Amino acid sequence: MGAELPPSHYENASIVVPSTVRRSAQPSSIEQEVMEMFDEFRHPLLRYSLSFGLTIHDAEEVIQEVFMALFRHLHLGRSRRNLRGWLFRVAHNLALKQRIANQASSQRTAGDASLADEHADPAPGPEEQLTAAQRRGFLQAVARALPENDQHCLRLRAEGLRYREIATVLGMSLGAVSVSLTRSLARLARADGR
Amino acid sequence: MLHKDSHQANLHIPDEELVRSADGELSPQRTTEVDTHLKACWDCRARMEEFQSTITGFVRDHHAEFDGQLPPGDGPRALLRARLAEWSDQSTTGWWKRVFHFGVPQMAVVGLSLIAIVTGISWFRQASQKPSYVLFDEEAAPNRSLTPGATRQVALSEVCSVPREEVIGNVPGALRQRVLLEYGISNARPEDYEIDYLIAPRLGGTEDIRNLWPEPYRTRVWNAHVKDALEQRLHEMVCSGQLDLSTAQHDIATDWIAAYKKYFHTDQPLVSHSSIGAATVLELGRVISSPV
Repeated sequence: MGAELPPSHYENASIVVPSTVRRSAQPSSIEQEVMEMFDEFRHPLLRYSLSFGLTIHDAEEVIQEVFMALFRHLHLGRSRRNLRGWLFRVAHNLALKQRIANQASSQRTAGDASLADEHADPAPGPEEQLTAAQRRGFLQAVARALPENDQHCLRLRAEGLRYREIATVLGMSLGAVSVSLTRSLARLARADGR
Repeated sequence: MLHKDSHQANLHIPDEELVRSADGELSPQRTTEVDTHLKACWDCRARMEEFQSTITGFVRDHHAEFDGQLPPGDGPRALLRARLAEWSDQSTTGWWKRVFHFGVPQMAVVGLSLIAIVTGISWFRQASQKPSYVLFDEEAAPNRSLTPGATRQVALSEVCSVPREEVIGNVPGALRQRVLLEYGISNARPEDYEIDYLIAPRLGGTEDIRNLWPEPYRTRVWNAHVKDALEQRLHEMVCSGQLDLSTAQHDIATDWIAAYKKYFHTDQPLVSHSSIGAATVLELGRVISSPV
């Protein structure tokens, strides 16, 4: 997995800029830095946000908020350690929040007596699941059946995050990340081999 | 677990170590040991290749599932840049620095002066017994936290081929109710509010709850007719190449009244844009220009 994913120079950003330099940095230089990180991480963050089931529009909005938060974070001279992990953590939290809001909103809409499909089962049926699997790829369909945290681990790893970064994003131990990835890959491999 | 002892060659490397080895998450020493074992053990090598194959397949599918949905980044990039610039402009850091450099005695004098001025104005307003006028309608602008604006990815050619549409009344009933509820408005009559788009569809706005807000019909100055005029103006500027679409979206979403003032170079709605009539505008003009 690691061999295919080029490391980002933000990955091991333990090269901490001295606080005196940070404080004196002008907003314009921070803006420039944020825009560079936007260019580098927009696609990985979008894919990760979309994996929460958000629409592309919601995901774009999440990404905008992530980079506004990054700008404020840097502007206040806060830690620059592991900024890639920081970005994914913020995106994770915002995407989760957006998904909860969407669910609450759809529940409110579903509560409207005027809707004809009030009692429709939101879960896709077996045929729909098969169609989705055929369309998106078999492994993705299997991955969607994994526990949610395992899915997050897999997708974060697929976006190039190292174990310690994944642990930071998801609030897990390094060992738990390792176990989760192994369990998921073993399950995917078994399904793939059938 | 790997053992160097050749008698225990059948003790294979656990799956977790294989995965960690593939991911470069083992210590250098352990990585060397695992590599050595893999050279000798076909069974472990086969399992390792199985993991590698699964990883390759998963990453390929992961990208295939989402990459087709990813729109070009130019628009979002421009929007982010505009938001950052706006934030920088509004940042109070410099202002506070100047205040603290001012010194405590000077700050105390300024503070007391401000209190005196505010008290004086308050007293004068009470003494004059004049009615207080709301110069700007409080509900004319949406709550930005509830209605930040929402856009879709749209080509300029599509934007410029959209005719001037009538958007009033197009919002479905259920969505209308959601918007009103979000703003804490209950028991509203249909004639009280128009559910208006913050970023008009002809500027790439979407029928999304974050792009809709209840605009009261009772607003007199900065009303829907004035906003329509701004939308038309921005549409013309975008389609004539005078203005970037993302800038137009940003400006109208941030503060449409400020955008109107900016693009029409005026502090008040033009008479031709307001439905309240010239006489009323003149009347309001007198109110605005009269001392408080």
